[in-house]
Amino acid sequence: MARPVGIIGVGQTQHGRREEMSYPDLVREAVLRALENCNLTPDDVDAVVTGTMPSMMEGIAMTQFYFADAVQAVGKPILKTETCGSVGVSIAHTAYYWVASGMADVILAVGHEKMFEGDSQATMVTVLEPYYQRSFLSGPPTAFSLQSQMWSNRFNIPEDKIREAATHISMLHHNSAFDNPYAHVKVRLSRDDVMNAPVIAYPIRLYDVCPNSDGACAVIFASEDKINHLGRKAAWVKGIGYRGEEYFIGDSDKVVWRAAIEAAKEAYDMAGISNPRKELNVAEVYNPFTYQEMIFYECFGFCDFGESPDLVLKGVFDRGGELPVSPSGGVLCTNPIGATGLIRVGEAALQILEQAGDRQIGGVKLALAHAMGGVVQLCGIMILGAHK
Amino acid sequence: MRRVAITEVAQISGPDSKDNFYDQAYRVTREVLDKAGLSRDEVGTIVSASTDVFHGGISCANAYYWESTGSFMKAGTRQDGESMFALHYAFMKILTGKYDTVLVVGLCKGSENPDNDAITQLIADPFYQRPVGLNETTAAAMQMHQYMEAYGATAEQCATVVEKNLGNALRNPYAHRRGCYSTEEVLASGSMCHPLTDLMCAPKSEGFIAMLLAAEDKAREITPQPVWIKGYGCALDTYFLGDRDLLAGQLPNAARRAYKMAGITDPAKEIDLVELCEPYAFQELLWCEQLGLCGRGEGGKLIASGKTRIDGDLPVNPSGGVLATNPYVSRGLQRVVEATLQIRGHAGEHQVRQQVNTAVCHGSTGFAGQCHAVAVIGR
Repeated sequence: MARPVGIIGVGQTQHGRREEMSYPDLVREAVLRALENCNLTPDDVDAVVTGTMPSMMEGIAMTQFYFADAVQAVGKPILKTETCGSVGVSIAHTAYYWVASGMADVILAVGHEKMFEGDSQATMVTVLEPYYQRSFLSGPPTAFSLQSQMWSNRFNIPEDKIREAATHISMLHHNSAFDNPYAHVKVRLSRDDVMNAPVIAYPIRLYDVCPNSDGACAVIFASEDKINHLGRKAAWVKGIGYRGEEYFIGDSDKVVWRAAIEAAKEAYDMAGISNPRKELNVAEVYNPFTYQEMIFYECFGFCDFGESPDLVLKGVFDRGGELPVSPSGGVLCTNPIGATGLIRVGEAALQILEQAGDRQIGGVKLALAHAMGGVVQLCGIMILGAHK
Repeated sequence: MRRVAITEVAQISGPDSKDNFYDQAYRVTREVLDKAGLSRDEVGTIVSASTDVFHGGISCANAYYWESTGSFMKAGTRQDGESMFALHYAFMKILTGKYDTVLVVGLCKGSENPDNDAITQLIADPFYQRPVGLNETTAAAMQMHQYMEAYGATAEQCATVVEKNLGNALRNPYAHRRGCYSTEEVLASGSMCHPLTDLMCAPKSEGFIAMLLAAEDKAREITPQPVWIKGYGCALDTYFLGDRDLLAGQLPNAARRAYKMAGITDPAKEIDLVELCEPYAFQELLWCEQLGLCGRGEGGKLIASGKTRIDGDLPVNPSGGVLATNPYVSRGLQRVVEATLQIRGHAGEHQVRQQVNTAVCHGSTGFAGQCHAVAVIGR
């Protein structure tokens, strides 16, 4: 039966535009940092799981082959998990199952993307089938704009209020990024900069949207026996959840969004969480768009439906608030997609291990990590805790 | 450790089909559930296998076929590149006790893809290997050269694999390519990439494969003939072709792991049947050696002895193997389905003569077998 599993090591690259190094070297940077972080050597790793976004992103397919050496997997068993944008959390789930099943004691999980080597928007349009959706749903900003408008409409939230709240979130995360040495976008923004930024897809403006980033993240999962043997502190996996819904965007409700609601519920049930806003100490929400971040708050039970803009403006989700969200600066400031979900897991682990440096939140005992993918379709959650 | 069984299997394969992807994905999923007598709601979760570059120009394949593989509002997930990975992941999900049943689905509609090698060249790095024309076939040709040179294996022995496997495929209704070919015809079939001839290389096929795994108690409720997963092993080799010894790759390592888990000490004696992944004919000989079925360099002798024929003592690829049917991504999982049918005595016209208690299934991807996965299944 399921063995307890903990995270003992986290490594990430300096995310950003990394033209000075090759894609495998970028991956290697994260992997070596993760091993260094927990003082293990590649020989200590039993097996490796990797994952990324579609091959068209960088023009190289089945990257487990290309990165065999970079991820130190030569001679080792491997799995290659790919679930679109949610891939980072899915990689973490795979690592969890591998250790929990008893088939391995130490798993290295690696997610990566080098988005400046390709055209991410062109790639993501190919997620849509060519007959119906591709011709009008031209990439993520359009899809998320539809979702945002559905949401404000459903709950009659005044547009001005949502704009204010989105601006609050944008400024919060862009400020937090300065405390994260690995974050990509570091710009000081005034309220006016955010409010009056160019429209990307109405109502979404430039600073409501994540960047393209080059980056990789590696996280080391270990069994209880191994953790005890090493005498290390661990961030224990307390809950996991994953759900997916219809591929055609018009087929499902993206406001009272079942995939998000039920993925969170599965993870909460496993972790024994009944009041997430009270019980969680920090949440790394997958937030490529400010507007969508608020929808996640509602679906994850951080607040009631339609209520999130008020709470955002009250500072409930600020770094000193009741439930700090994305103190790393989040996806809004760093988005190497194949790594992004795993960075959420890594950041949540760092908070529990008290290794988060200037972005550390005090006394984190329970943390949530999340990723989303597909055609506004797939949601994955991992909850980590300080105690087994 | 919990015991995990393959309870029901289904497959759709061939060269092409008038049916669209969704219909095929749905049908194969539905068939397995119907055979198991389970509704979609009763299935724990789903692990699929597909690869975006082998998916008709649509990325994030798993998002595309999410509902048609029964995944709606389930914790479905996907493995990329090698469908045996999906078997492994599903197996682990049951071992943890979180799920009692997991549906495994492999999907590849070859007829909507460009030539396999137009795709496999995308595995080659864009700086050194891709510009010189490296793809799965050119890499295999170099490996075949080395194999023949090192051990004195002959082109005729390699051609015998084609004669055997395409002959076996005559009896398999799911095979894409089949026929009675003499070794002379195989050798004269045109040069694909010297020394590989056309018939020595696998075709490009469609393959939708589904199976339901279950924990022991559940498995016994579903079927009187559970086929147990006894061992699994996998190993990845280094990347650059010139850095590798193509005759001493990672298959022995993967096999050793699977055999250890299954308690197999003498594979040549304890294994009754092998379904292996041989997109290039000579690879069947090399893989047989590396699976420990004969000595190093003795693959040629093994096939010449007739032992691996469908009526031999150790049948290898009685289904016709990948040479007959090559749904690139799902070809590994198809080996597991075929071995399951043989263990149950349900393989129909290509059922082997002797009772099969223990079978080895093998999947391989990457140039010249950069990655190998081996599963041992049995009664």
